[in-house]
Amino acid sequence: MKTSQNFTLMYILLLTGQILICNFINSGPYVMLSILPAIVLCLPPGIPAIVLMLIAAVSGLAVDWLAEGVIGLNMAALVPVAFVRNILVRLLFGKEHSERGDGFSIKKNGFPKISAAILVCQAIFLSVYIIIDGAGARTFLFNLARFAASLLCGFLLSIPVVNMLTSGERQEGWR
Amino acid sequence: MSRGGNIFRIIFNAAVFILLEAAALVMLKHDGPMQDIWLSKGIHAFQGAVWGGTESIRDYFSLRKQNAALAEENYRLRNVIREYCASTGKEIAEDSARNVVGGFRYLHAEAVKVSNNKQHNYLILDKGSEDGIEKLSGVITENGVAGIIDAVGKHYSYARSFKNTGMTVSARIGKEGPAGELIWNGVTSNGAILKEIPQHIHINEGDTVYTSGFSSIFPADIPLGITGEASVVNGSTYDVKVTLFSDFSAIRYVTVVNNTDDTEIEELEVEDED
Repeated sequence: MKTSQNFTLMYILLLTGQILICNFINSGPYVMLSILPAIVLCLPPGIPAIVLMLIAAVSGLAVDWLAEGVIGLNMAALVPVAFVRNILVRLLFGKEHSERGDGFSIKKNGFPKISAAILVCQAIFLSVYIIIDGAGARTFLFNLARFAASLLCGFLLSIPVVNMLTSGERQEGWR
Repeated sequence: MSRGGNIFRIIFNAAVFILLEAAALVMLKHDGPMQDIWLSKGIHAFQGAVWGGTESIRDYFSLRKQNAALAEENYRLRNVIREYCASTGKEIAEDSARNVVGGFRYLHAEAVKVSNNKQHNYLILDKGSEDGIEKLSGVITENGVAGIIDAVGKHYSYARSFKNTGMTVSARIGKEGPAGELIWNGVTSNGAILKEIPQHIHINEGDTVYTSGFSSIFPADIPLGITGEASVVNGSTYDVKVTLFSDFSAIRYVTVVNNTDDTEIEELEVEDED
């Protein structure tokens, strides 16, 4: 019960962190800093995809509402991450692992696997985000440069977030 | 979980995903002006594709009906011709018997040899003077101009291909636009340049280029190609890139066109020069 409260509290804190990043850190036109894909990835295993998508939609909408101008942008980009989250966890960490409902962590699964999961989630999120944000008005090269820069920064920012959410088996009691 | 249950779960997940994405896009459409324009454009393109597709399917299934309508129209036109012949006393329009339409005589021919990979290309046609082919007749296909007859034998004729650096065709942009000289660009198989277009004329990319009909070799309004980029030459005229419709490597059946009034036109020109 305590771990469940811990995770929820941490989740809300990180969501608030994302809102603060959007509001107060001006990273320029090429970098879009987001930890949302990482926190969706770290939602406890065993949660059905529908619930994951609803949590992602509400989280994205909260960031859109409280931080950025266009409502629906983070939501549209985050829901696909939630949609593939369970499949991704199953593919990277194994079917048995996901069926047992074990949480994952850098310590348990190794840095390469966690990095791959973060990169895939960030890539999905950023692809949708950059395409919709550009609305066909930006060149392909600009979008590509933005994607690459944002992926790198997002990845670096996500590692401590994932470590924070998955250390101490916070995920396991959250059901 | 059973296989059926799994499939149901996948479908349900996909439905919720689509629903949430649709909700996000609706919100984006209402909140972001740029996204609104972009999404509207996407929706219109999608609708266009869907309507185009259904239209094609409908057209295909209505072919029988259209055939019947065409047969009906054919019957009516035959009746009109019969009435016309009866009222004028002519058996049949003499010109159409000689394959003459609008001052040009049309003869069907087959290209038996085609040169394509040189700077000066040619075609050999299987019709000659005995079939009514004359020198300086035009050679056309359904996709545009193929060349000009340069030499005529009894049973064969030699035509200079349009893919010849020295050959020009009088052409115009659109059916009523400015006219200039169309010449093969010498590089690509379907590239040409329309020269001497006055600079004050605004040129749109994608306009169709037609024969102008000024040369007396080719009839007017044969579609030749599509305009591309235009560049100013000598500060006074445009050179417009043209992508030709013709695929010269696939030329086989051609039509030879001969101006039946060219002698009269030449006489007038000579008279004026004198």
